[in-house]
Amino acid sequence: MRVHVVEDDAGVSDSLALILRNIGHTVVSHRDAESLFKGPLPTAPDAVIVDLSLPGIPGAQLVRWLLNLAAPPRVVVITGQSQGFIDHQLRGLVPDGVMRKPLDVDAIARVLPPL
Amino acid sequence: MKDFAPTSDAPHPPTVSEARLLSVLDTAADGIIVIDEHARILIFNKACEKMFGVTTAEAVGQNVKLVMPTDYARQHDAYVGSYIRTGVKKIIGIGREVQGRHADGTVFPLELSVGEAATPDGRQFIGILRDLRPRKESEQRLADLQSELVHLARVSAIDEMGAAIAHELNQPLTALMLYLQAIRRAHSRGIDIVTVVGDILDKAANEAERAGHIIQRMRQFVEKRDPERHVRPLDPLIDEAIDLTLLGQRHRIRIDRQTGENLPPVSVDPVQIQQIVVNLVRNAIEAAAGVPDPAIEIRTRASDGSVRLEVQDNGPGIAPEALSKLFEAFASSKRRGMGLGLAISRTIAQNHGGDLLVDPGGNGRGACFTLVLPAASMPDEVG
Ligand SMILES: Nc1ncnc2c1ncn2[C@@H]1O[C@H](COP(=O)(O)OP(=O)(O)OP(=O)(O)O)[C@@H](O)[C@H]1O
Ligand SMILES: [Mg+2]
Repeated sequence: MRVHVVEDDAGVSDSLALILRNIGHTVVSHRDAESLFKGPLPTAPDAVIVDLSLPGIPGAQLVRWLLNLAAPPRVVVITGQSQGFIDHQLRGLVPDGVMRKPLDVDAIARVLPPL
Repeated sequence: MKDFAPTSDAPHPPTVSEARLLSVLDTAADGIIVIDEHARILIFNKACEKMFGVTTAEAVGQNVKLVMPTDYARQHDAYVGSYIRTGVKKIIGIGREVQGRHADGTVFPLELSVGEAATPDGRQFIGILRDLRPRKESEQRLADLQSELVHLARVSAIDEMGAAIAHELNQPLTALMLYLQAIRRAHSRGIDIVTVVGDILDKAANEAERAGHIIQRMRQFVEKRDPERHVRPLDPLIDEAIDLTLLGQRHRIRIDRQTGENLPPVSVDPVQIQQIVVNLVRNAIEAAAGVPDPAIEIRTRASDGSVRLEVQDNGPGIAPEALSKLFEAFASSKRRGMGLGLAISRTIAQNHGGDLLVDPGGNGRGACFTLVLPAASMPDEVG
């Protein structure tokens, strides 16, 4: 599966790419929503991992936009923020998964099963 | 010697008008001592008895050194002698802070003013003394309270940022965990990772270090320490403080940072200065949060003899009615604000010989706060 990772933290982004490749996915990394828009749009059956706290366009806004696409990709939210913050940000949005940091490989494999 | 009336070692009994004078002196709250040219005590009032733990009967007739610490006492005869010879006044009519000694050995600060009177019995010196300890104590208490408050405000700033800092720690912990699990998985599947494992381990170590730095920086900021002064360039301190503040922010915000050229160093307590920066930047972020494209400009520049830090936001500015109370403690418009940030920041700035100024903005302009610090003289010019 092709997995887009939208995460501005270099360490998180790099390690996430490593482990995703490790479980058999193809990874495209983006520092922010803006750079994701510059490339070809992700569509099903791709997946997009979105960090909620992004510079520029907020993560929640990207999630909303992705879910409204004609053929939406799988959308997985990652965040280190409190539950209150997550609820507030995602009001009305239902992504395919929400993973709270710190992440581990089992949690990732559960939402994005290895090939 | 004919100017000098002979002084008897045993004081003669007081006359009626002297007795009246003495009773007046005894009601005075200040200590009053009258001495002759030989520094012998002629009058020692009630307030003095209490101040020095010596009775009037014991004191009168003795050299005034009796109530002075030894090193002062040694110089006192020389002073009196030199004044009588040369007329150069070191203390008469001036009043200054000196030290006194209680009979129990306690040395304490006194405010002393001395007058001089020519009498038929020769010149006499009248000293009026005030015990400075109560004033010193309250000054000290104020200073202690102030430093306590400065510390508390720092802790409260961290407390508010706590949840967000936990988030920041999650980043390196996530990376660390994933790096290690990647190696673990490859290893357990017998995949050959020899070529990359060193690289991954380095990255993992970096992330662990990053987590350590976050903790360290918080600790530095929160721990209680005595105030210090170090001659430092201002910019690196500011950059570090900005990083610390941003750690605590959920939403990213555009920060335009401009550093001045050839800034002279400043003599500061680094943590306290960083505390000001944290307060100003937090306020700016909070003020700009409501506008569509929040942005903050943080500039430093040199300006005749001082170094200035300006924090400008593009929020709504400060309402005219809030302006007069802006720097007062507990003046806050925020639901969770303590209203201490600016009060403490200005106190710190002024303790550094500087100030904290505001341009309130308004009408589409955000507020701009300016921290002014005196430029430090070059280390080799000191002393
Ligand atoms: N950059 C700014 N723009 C607009 N208003 C501001 C700005 N900075 C401060 N203020 C106003 O000044 C008040 C006092 O600020 P101060 O930093 O002293 O306290 P606080 O931010 O309310 O609380 P605390 O800093 O103790 O958490 C704020 O409540 C706010 O109304
Ligand atoms: Mg504040």
